[in-house]
Formats: sequence, C-alpha cells, structure tokens
Amino acid sequence: METMKAAVFHGQGDLRVEERPVPEPGPGEALLRIKYCGICGSDLEAYRYGLYEPGIVIGHEIAAEVAAVGPGVAGLAPGDRVTSNDIVPCGECRYCRTGRVSICDAVTMPGVTCDGGFAEYMTVAARALYRLPDGVSDLQAALTDPSSNALHAVNRSGLRLGDRVLVIGAGPIGLLIVQAALLAGARRVFVAEMNETRRCLAREMGASEVINPEVDNLDLAVADLTEDQGADVVFCASGSPGAMASTFTLVRKGGVVVPVGICEQPVAADFLSLVMNELDYRGTYASYDEYGLALDLMAQGRWRTEPLVSAVIPLEQIVAEGFEVLLQPGAAAAKILVRP
Amino acid sequence: MRFASMEYVKKMQEVLNSDEQHRRAAKGETDSYLLVLDPEPDKGVAERHIVGYSMVDGEVTEAWTGQRKTTFVLSAPYGVWVSILEGRLGPIAAMTTRRLKIRGNLLKLLSGSDSTLRMVELLRTIPTEFEGEYASVKLGQEAG
Ligand SMILES: [Zn+2]
Ligand SMILES: [Zn+2]
Repeated sequence: METMKAAVFHGQGDLRVEERPVPEPGPGEALLRIKYCGICGSDLEAYRYGLYEPGIVIGHEIAAEVAAVGPGVAGLAPGDRVTSNDIVPCGECRYCRTGRVSICDAVTMPGVTCDGGFAEYMTVAARALYRLPDGVSDLQAALTDPSSNALHAVNRSGLRLGDRVLVIGAGPIGLLIVQAALLAGARRVFVAEMNETRRCLAREMGASEVINPEVDNLDLAVADLTEDQGADVVFCASGSPGAMASTFTLVRKGGVVVPVGICEQPVAADFLSLVMNELDYRGTYASYDEYGLALDLMAQGRWRTEPLVSAVIPLEQIVAEGFEVLLQPGAAAAKILVRP
Repeated sequence: MRFASMEYVKKMQEVLNSDEQHRRAAKGETDSYLLVLDPEPDKGVAERHIVGYSMVDGEVTEAWTGQRKTTFVLSAPYGVWVSILEGRLGPIAAMTTRRLKIRGNLLKLLSGSDSTLRMVELLRTIPTEFEGEYASVKLGQEAG
C-alpha cells in the first residue's frame, strides 16, 4: 500500500503529521495531489477547542492537481488544476433546493467532517471541484475558499452602491471583505484593527480609513467619518466579544451588521438599540456559489490574494510554523499556506 | 473655570469622589466615558471639546481631556450639554430622545441613571464659564 504524509487531528491542541495510506477515489470521486492548503481561522478554533472529530486529516483551503478519478467521473482528467468547495451539499434538502446551500441539512465538509487537504493526497466528490482558469496560479487558488466566504458575507449583507462600510478585524477574512465590499460598490470602507501589519494590509486592500481602536475611540472615529450617522453595514470579523458588542451603536439606524468571526464568550448584546434602531443582524456561514465568482474575479485580475500570504511552510512544520504562530496573541500573520 | 478644560475635569473628579450620595449611587459601576461637546460655530463655539473619565466601582479614578478608548461615548452639540447643566433638559430624557447621542450599551447606561442625575446636580455646583453665546449662563449653586 502506498503511503503519504498527512496532518491528523487528535483532539484539542494535538495535530500530528503521520504516515497514512494514499486514499482510493470511490465512485464519483477524484484523487487530488495537493499543491497548497491554507490554514483557516476555523482550523485554529478547532485546534484550540477540539471541535473536529479526532482521527481526521484536516485542511480545506486547497489548490491541487487531479491525480486520478474514480468510476463515473466525466470531464476531469489527471493533471487538471483544481480547487474544491469546502462544502459538498446533499443537493436535496430544502436549503439546497432554495439556493441556501451553505446551510444544507446534510452537508459533508472535507477537512472538517472527513479527510481533507493537509496531506499529499486527498479524495473529494468530483462535483465539488472547480477547474482553475488560466492565469490563476496555484498559490492564488489556495485562497479561493476564504475569498468565496468573504464574497458570501458581502452578498448576505445586501450592501448597496454608495454604502459606507466598517470592517472590524483585519485578519484574512476581514481583509478580503474589504475588497469584496469595494467591488460591491461601497463608497468607503473603514477598518478597525489593533495590529500594525494588518492595518497596513487593510490599506493595501483599499480601506480608506484604518483605525487602531486601542489608540483612537472607534465610536467617535466612525461617527466623524459618517456625519454622526454610523456605518451602513458593519462586518465583525473579530472573535472578541467586546468588538461584537460594539457593533450595536457603530451601525446606523436601520443598518446591517454581519457577524463573521465566532465569539466563544457571551456577548453583551444591546437589544435596546437593536429594537429602537431597527437593526438587521445577519449571520454568514461559509459560501457556495461564490467559489466560481472568486475564481473568475482572480482570472480577470480583479481580486487580489497574494498580499495576504505571509508564509508558505512544509507540512512537517504545520504546528510549529503554522498553528502555533497564528495562535499567538496579536499574531500579525495573515494567511499561512502549507505545501505538502 | 472654563467648561471642559483640564482644570474643569479635575474639579469634576474631586467633586464626584467627595460626594457620599454619588459614591453610593455609582457603586458597582466600572466603565469609562467620553463626553463629546460638538462645536456650534454660529453660536460662537468654534471647536470641539472632548473630556473623559473612568470609574472603578463608583470611584472616578481618572479624568482627562481628549479622545481615547472608552466603554461609552456621549456626544451632543455644546448647547445641549449647557442645557443639561442648566437643568433645562433632563439628562435621561436627553439620552432616550437622542439629543445626546449614545454609543455603547444604552440600557446599561440608563440603569445607572441615579448616579447620572446626582452627577449633574454636582456639576451644577462648579463655577463654570461657557463659551460664545452661552457665556451669560451662570452655574455654581449648592447641590440639593
Ligand atoms: Zn476556511
Ligand atoms: Zn442539502
């Protein structure tokens, strides 16, 4: 039996690179040779809190090449460059049938519910794959998943041409939301971020004002930037309960708040403002159709991902140079890619 | 002393901390506040003034001028603040009717209304000079 190296999740704070058999593609599946797999914020949460099933190979932000296809797969051949949707929907539940695929009742998620991409090879349903357009590099394609999630968050917000947008937290998702909001027609995007490196990245991604909320009073800064109205749309891409609690009065009356980051701690929700100001809070989870959009935008040169890649590391170093670096308080790194 | 000056905020800290009634009403409050007095050029108030203070269990531990990170931001045109100090506008009504713009958890702020009311009474005892058209307003009477 052929073997490969893979990062296997064994529970809270326990991820090990081990020898595993190279999987066989079943009916309707493709075997992928992984080029890059990005470390996602959700992988970090899972590592910290033990949220995944022990024994699985994690990793879902992949760029790969088809190595083989299983029975019944048409239109894909070895050598094809691809990325995979991190959601493999059931296709039959009420949410799939109404286009709300990211909240499918019976979803499979490679790297979350079954083996994923921090490995030399993985298998995945061929219907979840997207062929990479010419001109999109493997490195760019490894950021299709977070790009798609950012586009989905903006789609969920209902952002309108001319809106003024606040993004709290300039990690990879926050930074990509800046770009997505501008594409969707935001007049200005303000970013609140404590880390200096990430503030620079936010400017690079097109933020018009970047605020350090440790130094400047964020409420006052946003009020001043919006003639005292508040932002039309607030994306909270920070896991801090304080940041989430602040959204209730950073958004204008009748505005929209999209919580993107996940708070482990309870949030002091200001329901009085929510009611009196008729606020809309809209959750956003993963994405689906936005994968194709993200790849098309990259192919057209209208979507940048390279500035976000802060390091490419070998699989053997995934813990020391990847997870542990990103989990340090105040980590400046944006996206770290693993190259098996 | 000039309203919202450094001298004024230090006096405010002293007055609040030395009042038993305020200390009792504010017990358990650990928050920080930024009060923003927006300019009214047509009334002779050219510049924005910002003062702030932080409270630990009802005691004012620090008071300053200028902006910094706080739990609450209360902002209004200069004249609204003067009206509140004069007693022509109740501070609670000013909050609930949005004459005073509140950023931060409004319900939490309103739940501390006893200390807010006492605070306003105490600020009235400080001899204060106002700017522009408000220069004729006189404060400095005894607290009830
Ligand atoms: Zn991800
Ligand atoms: Zn479904």
